[in-house]
Amino acid sequence: MKKIQLLLIISLFGHVVMTNEVNVYTSRHYDSDDALYEEFTKETGIAVNIVSGKGSALLQRLKAEGVNSPADIFFTVDAGNLWKVQKEDLFQSIKSQEILKVVPENLRGPNNEWTAIAKRARVIFYNPDNVNEKMVEGISYEDLANPEWNNKIVIRSSSNMYNQSLVASLIASLGEENTEIWAKKLVNNFARKPQGNDRSQIIAVANGEADIAIANSYYIGIMLSGSAGEDQLTAAKKVRMIFPNQDNRGTHINISGAGILKNSPNPTNANLFLEFLLSKRVQKYMVDKSYEYPILDGVLPSKEIASFGISFKEDQTSVQKYGELNPDAVRLMDRSGWK
Amino acid sequence: MNRLTFWRLLPFAVLVVFTAPLLIVLSSLIGDYSENWSHLFQFVLFDYVSSSLVLVIGVSILVLIIGTVTAWTVTSYNFVGKNIFEWALILPLSIPPYILAYTFTGLFDHYGDANNLARLLLNLQNSTAIFPNVRNIYGAIIVFSFTLYPYVYLVSRSAFINQSKSMKESARMLGLNQFQVFYKLALPLIRPAVIGGLMLVIMETLSDFGAVDHFAVQTFTTGIFRTWYGLYDIQTAMQLASLLLLTVGVFYIVERSSRGSGIYTSNNSTFSPSKEDSLVGYKALTAFLICFIPIFIGFILPIIELILWAYEVNLEFFNQKFISSSFNTLSLSLVTGMICAGLALLINFSIRYKPSAFVQRFSSLLSIGYAVPGLILAVGMVQLLVYIDALVLSGLDIVVTGSLIGLVLAYVIKTYALANSSIESGYERVSSSLDDSSKLLGSSGWSMLSSIHVPLLKTSILTSVLLVMSDVVKELPATLILRPFNFETLAVSTYIYASEERMLQAAAPAIAIVLIGLIPIVFLSKMIRSSRPTH
Repeated sequence: MKKIQLLLIISLFGHVVMTNEVNVYTSRHYDSDDALYEEFTKETGIAVNIVSGKGSALLQRLKAEGVNSPADIFFTVDAGNLWKVQKEDLFQSIKSQEILKVVPENLRGPNNEWTAIAKRARVIFYNPDNVNEKMVEGISYEDLANPEWNNKIVIRSSSNMYNQSLVASLIASLGEENTEIWAKKLVNNFARKPQGNDRSQIIAVANGEADIAIANSYYIGIMLSGSAGEDQLTAAKKVRMIFPNQDNRGTHINISGAGILKNSPNPTNANLFLEFLLSKRVQKYMVDKSYEYPILDGVLPSKEIASFGISFKEDQTSVQKYGELNPDAVRLMDRSGWK
Repeated sequence: MNRLTFWRLLPFAVLVVFTAPLLIVLSSLIGDYSENWSHLFQFVLFDYVSSSLVLVIGVSILVLIIGTVTAWTVTSYNFVGKNIFEWALILPLSIPPYILAYTFTGLFDHYGDANNLARLLLNLQNSTAIFPNVRNIYGAIIVFSFTLYPYVYLVSRSAFINQSKSMKESARMLGLNQFQVFYKLALPLIRPAVIGGLMLVIMETLSDFGAVDHFAVQTFTTGIFRTWYGLYDIQTAMQLASLLLLTVGVFYIVERSSRGSGIYTSNNSTFSPSKEDSLVGYKALTAFLICFIPIFIGFILPIIELILWAYEVNLEFFNQKFISSSFNTLSLSLVTGMICAGLALLINFSIRYKPSAFVQRFSSLLSIGYAVPGLILAVGMVQLLVYIDALVLSGLDIVVTGSLIGLVLAYVIKTYALANSSIESGYERVSSSLDDSSKLLGSSGWSMLSSIHVPLLKTSILTSVLLVMSDVVKELPATLILRPFNFETLAVSTYIYASEERMLQAAAPAIAIVLIGLIPIVFLSKMIRSSRPTH
């Protein structure tokens, strides 16, 4: 009991202020990130404090805390979430030339409020045992609305932010009307009611429950690594990954990204932290563990991911559009009956 | 302060603190209504409401059947395994619905372990699946029913035990058969207790996000989060949450008012406990299965699947992080349990000591926190803590936002209903003539509470601490947003893996949640074993 009382008393006094620290609110929670933070502390002597949770919930906490927020960095896995924080005017501009030099403009906030840390592509998976390679050659997202795929496509629910970003990017490229026609036809082609996460879609294609799965690129890397178990490894070996829209605007990409908060108590440390994440060595380590694509030129993705090709044409739509158009995308999917 | 005023004011004071975060949520109702409302009305609201209704009705029916029938079986009959079932029937309480949902898909998906095993045993083709798809509303009904029925079982069992033998004997003599005694006499008599348990089940079902999200069932609660996360419209999300809150609140008050008072307590001095009939042969087998199946589905099956998962990955199970999150989980739940039980005791006492219909009705509102989705409560809570920091503590160098105080307060508001239900039903069995006698003997206020009520309510108090503990161990969404830096509980670790569907890694912390959740459950079971007057 004494211990618990002590614990409570200490916590009552809240956050014990230490001078050499950086406080991170993150919706990324990979084990490999923990190791990265430890490495940062070892190199710089700056302690990394973490609160992880859903991006939107963390934003709410940030807003409520206002000027008293202890957070220095907001780190998240979807451009939409970064845009929301940007819109609330909670970020300060990143000044580090080191960062601005290496990160392309479409992967930063309009006034450098945030920067991408890693990329992921939303790609198509098929099982060559069930689908003729000719049928998927040069395929685009738009093609998936064609009647030949009737009852053959699996994708997760429209509540998922990766789908919302994909549809937002289509609205940006094709316009809302065309995207809605496309979405209605796509929903007609679903092999089953949307369920499970990206991995379940890949497994469904591997097992022949459907012909085409739309999912994020890094999932196949995790599955191929064997860390997710024997079943997923076997499933992953059965499928091929292709990059849609290579003949026109390129494949839809999304980012893991971070920014320094306006009220950051430790802005210098925060800056160091971002520079650390965007250094060559850390980028390599990160993509080897998370199977994302690196932001830096000259860094290769993990060997599992590289096996599907290391260069592909990326959709250059500014990722902040995803945030702007996200509510439109959700309403559009509601109207299309995409559960 | 005058003694009487203290007891009169206490419920109000607690009500103010408890309802503050809820009022912050409710205040959204007087704000602007965005154009998203017309979108919701036109396209999705009907689906949200209807699936929530189907879910609640389905779960209620199933939970009532499982809870009362198992309770009746173990209190009225003697059969092989009965002494074990009597306490084992509450084991599923240690499994959070979301974990049962994860294991269900692991077992019953087309290529899940159960279907794979069935194909192997029956030598079937890969395209056939024996077990049906669980990722739908029926799967969700089963998941909630088999994890939550113990709430109804617990109250039914103690109510059945307290039913007099002479009453049942008279009924049999008047020509009722055993089945008729059950549903014509015993069941109606325990109605208030059962409805109290059922309310908990309904509230937990309505506020759940994890399990329904995993099964891709679009309920009112998933709608709230979709509006928040997808439409970026927290105002409308809060308005939706307020509607949910109001619906449950009205339901709650109506239920309370319809109860009447005092009709169900027996202070008959000739009370004698019921005697059990011994069962043999197929009757014993039926009784055995009635009790075994809920335990199997709600506890044994998920544990097997979790162990299989944990076995597949080599985890350093007892590392530093695991130990610290176990410690955090356990101490938080213990502290919350004691605060909740203490509060529930004080409030129920003050209602009894200074009864007024108004206070009685509004004190039941204290329980409403249980129906609020944890994350919505947490959002109100963050706001409240920030106000406290700004208004009360601004001069001092103290911040409660992001401290354990805020987290514990959120837990208390969320789980008070559990503590209250147990202490309230305990009080229903303490005859009010005792109070009158003690008043005559000059004992009042604190001394009546400590020397008369507390000893009589010992079991109820312990039960309420344990129920709250078993719930806090499982709590996730409020913990995620309110916790201090670098502070992890087991539920957080589980979520972090499970949200990426890395079930193999999620299995170890999930097992730990179940194990820690078992500690209060084992205590509860022990009390159940010793709470039989005939033994």
